[in-house]
Amino acid sequence: MAARTLTGTGATPRSGLGTVVWYDPEITLPDTDEPVDGDAERDRFADAVETARAELESERDATAERVGEEEAAIFDAHIQFLEDPTIREAVEASIEDGRPAALAVDDAFAEHIEQFEGMEGRMAERADDLRDVRDRLLRLLTGGDRVNLADLPEGSVVLAERLTPSDTAQLDPETVAGFATVTGGRTSHAAIFARSLALPAVVGLGEVLNDITDGTEVIVDGDAGELLVGPDDAEREAARADEGAEVIEEMVETSDGREIEVAANVGRPEELEPAAARGADGVGLYRTEFLFLERQSPPDEDEQYEAIRDALDTFPEGRVVVRTLDIGGDKQIPYLDLPEEENPFLGERGIRRSLDPDTELFRTQLRALLRAAADGAGELNVMFPLVATVEELEAAIAAVDDAAAALDERGVDCERPSLGVMVETPSAVFMADEFARRVDFLSIGTNDLTQYVMAADRENERVGHLHDPTHPGVVRAIGRTVEQAHANDAWVGMCGEMAGNPDVTELLVGLGLDELSMSAVTIPDVKVAVSETEYSAARERADSARSVATRSEVHETIDQ
Amino acid sequence: MSERIVEIVPEAGLHARPAALFVETVNDHEANVEAGPPDSDLVPAQSMIAVTSLGVGQGDELRLVADGPDAESVLDELERILTTPEDELEA
Repeated sequence: MAARTLTGTGATPRSGLGTVVWYDPEITLPDTDEPVDGDAERDRFADAVETARAELESERDATAERVGEEEAAIFDAHIQFLEDPTIREAVEASIEDGRPAALAVDDAFAEHIEQFEGMEGRMAERADDLRDVRDRLLRLLTGGDRVNLADLPEGSVVLAERLTPSDTAQLDPETVAGFATVTGGRTSHAAIFARSLALPAVVGLGEVLNDITDGTEVIVDGDAGELLVGPDDAEREAARADEGAEVIEEMVETSDGREIEVAANVGRPEELEPAAARGADGVGLYRTEFLFLERQSPPDEDEQYEAIRDALDTFPEGRVVVRTLDIGGDKQIPYLDLPEEENPFLGERGIRRSLDPDTELFRTQLRALLRAAADGAGELNVMFPLVATVEELEAAIAAVDDAAAALDERGVDCERPSLGVMVETPSAVFMADEFARRVDFLSIGTNDLTQYVMAADRENERVGHLHDPTHPGVVRAIGRTVEQAHANDAWVGMCGEMAGNPDVTELLVGLGLDELSMSAVTIPDVKVAVSETEYSAARERADSARSVATRSEVHETIDQ
Repeated sequence: MSERIVEIVPEAGLHARPAALFVETVNDHEANVEAGPPDSDLVPAQSMIAVTSLGVGQGDELRLVADGPDAESVLDELERILTTPEDELEA
């Protein structure tokens, strides 16, 4: 047992063992009553500005090279904030009055940060920029050195309050063993970035993380969402073994020749390249709601078009399955003014909102998708989330036809993509034949399907034992869905977490799934599992898994 | 003293990269430049804080007033930055 275990949210289902390196130690401001040498403080301030500028320039260049010019632009903005004459004059005047440089800097920024914080929209983000610049100066002035993320010793585990996009862009997955942060959730930028790079990470550990000091040996267990402080030998061994499989770039097939598409779940344009690099054949779930998060207004048609076209161009030979906007439930978007619901998971979410009241957003999204289908290299597939009735499906299909007609009228190039339905509700399982007759494919979202079939809240640990897709009720629901789809000439994919678990790959292949989609990190493991599976044997085993009575019996058939 | 009114083309408005380039350009020239909405107060254009706090977005108009030996050339350069889409901007 580790000496101490901290619990947070796992971002990447992978473990890493290493030595703690704090990225941003807490800043301690000097006491005000110490006597101050004005000239010396002025020099220290000037030196700090100069060093900060040099740091920003080198981080800008590193980011431009690793990620792109667009992401590097933020550093140019920070340089200009750093050298703002308003700040410089205020700091110098304050030092003149006998304040130490660090306090003078803190004061000078405070007023402007507050001013930006009170503003709307993008202006509020400027407060974050100013805070970053202020903290950089304060670290230099108070002697708290910040490590260079791009040049860490092998086996470092980075601990930080939070990691910004520009921070994570500098991490080299070859040398960094993982990271852990005080703040952040599963969908925070740092978490998503970690997943796409297969970097072990746990976020949202809380203030207790500050107790862990530099040089401590820790394991970042992204599976359990834990940070193990001072692990024992067995835990070290397990973490070292968690290397994962080699990347397989080609499509894989079972030993007896059944081809299974292994695709990636993505939510942001910057996840596309890393997914391709881990051997994804295409995208099996593009969560378009991520394009709507962390901003003040919805992306317009052109922006959505660009994002989807990028995805299609990343997989010119592959298939990209885009899920239309799926908000509601646990996914809140401030500017859309979602209603407070007693029971949001059984309320207005997914296609229900797209048909009404988000009709306009849905139309805009469909136009963007149809245009991208015409211009992008890969094959676009569009699916609708949380469909429960044939009427909903028919209304959604009609909306696609309307969007195509509207674009035709405008003389804009567009193409009607293949359409599909997500199977997440028990109703969709029972109606799978009717749905399959009306679309080209079905995709099983096992997280929601399990939640609804078992009536077990995904987030409620007390019923966590029920939230398991290997319960026979869920296995039978999956088997039935695949059967009904194939009988009606539709292909079937799976895009829930179950699809990324190599321990059940044989079961899923045996149940007849044509495609498995998962976060990029587990793609190599699942590709290996597919190629080690014999379809005919898996088929028999899946049949028994569909006929047994308990979860443990399902596990017995899997483990045989 | 020279003056002109420019309509903002970059999607980010006067933020991020365009704003950084804008301020950097002002500071590289021998001219005192002020900027603001056509019908309102001007702020010093060499201050990133002042410039970004104008909240100028794509499609907005910005009034530029320059004084000094480089007045004309700095205005030319600023106009180029403000009327070039972000992805075509050269540093």
